[in-house]
Amino acid sequence: MDSGNIVLQETDYRRLQSILERTQKDLRAHLVMLIDRSGHQIACEGPDQEIDQTALASLAAANVAATNGLAQIVGEPGFSVLYHQGSHRSIHISTVATRFSLVLVFDQTVASGVVRWKVRRATFFLDEILSEVVKMSERQHTSADAANEPALTTKFTDEEINRLVGEINLK
Amino acid sequence: MTFINYVARELNCKIVYYGPGLGGKTTNLQHVYSITAPENKGKMISLATETERTLFFDFLPIDLGQIRGFRTRFHLYTVPGQVFYDASRKLILRGVDGVVFVADSQEERLDANLESIANLQTNLKEQGFDLARMPYVLQLNKRDLPNVIPAAELRKSLLVKGEPVFEAIAMRGVGVLDTLKAVVRQVLIELRKSA
Repeated sequence: MDSGNIVLQETDYRRLQSILERTQKDLRAHLVMLIDRSGHQIACEGPDQEIDQTALASLAAANVAATNGLAQIVGEPGFSVLYHQGSHRSIHISTVATRFSLVLVFDQTVASGVVRWKVRRATFFLDEILSEVVKMSERQHTSADAANEPALTTKFTDEEINRLVGEINLK
Repeated sequence: MTFINYVARELNCKIVYYGPGLGGKTTNLQHVYSITAPENKGKMISLATETERTLFFDFLPIDLGQIRGFRTRFHLYTVPGQVFYDASRKLILRGVDGVVFVADSQEERLDANLESIANLQTNLKEQGFDLARMPYVLQLNKRDLPNVIPAAELRKSLLVKGEPVFEAIAMRGVGVLDTLKAVVRQVLIELRKSA
């Protein structure tokens, strides 16, 4: 069951970013991305500016969801790792803290065994942080400086919502 | 499941367009894509068959403006409407924040509409959602066709909980933006309530 919204504070974001950065450097990855299972991009690191990160996040999440569907059909609880090998670039996707995935785009200069080993290490630390983030979100703890401010979204007034919706003109 | 990123100052929400096959779900997204400024939209992804029937989903990310200094990004998805793609529909509903039901107004599609609504309720329940308690908008599409059920009658048949209802001709863009605005409003109000 989806247990509600995820709220990411700056300190957690920086910790996640630091793990992604280290993973990207260790593996000379083109892109390292953390996503949630709805396809939202949480954090990203890597020199490749040409990859459409929004599309990659959405497709990777759908890929994970479809693969887990396949797993259940064959009697498995899930597949924690997906590996897609290309002729120049490959993609490695691994589940983190149940609700998230780590997506890695890399090339043949790195052996897949090394990728698996480094990613396993990274997911261990990411899991710790994200499990905490989920718990905090579920407790509706939302202030970045730990002062007990009401959540951002409780502050939305009817006027603000109406103004945003009214101004949706798209072009 | 809304994702709020305080660092990037972004709200990310997911809306799913549901309904029977060939009802106009993809057409809704295509119209939104066509009228969205390039800087406010991402690439539209369509995973479809050779005959352009949705195979897995369509996806369109759009920016709808700012609220309290936070960018509001909505990820619009459609599901495949054909009956035998139920397994895929379940997956696309994961983490959904709001649903638009695109009904086909033609007389001969009434049963398909009803089956699709029942299917939506079942699949949401499996995900832990209750349609009665989540943002939901009904669109009566294809109002330009000659064999449509009168809107009042169709509304009565398909209404689930007094949700907003919009008549539409998605191929011409009629009613598409109003539908989207209605579900966005509901999602933001629901976010406020649940925080």
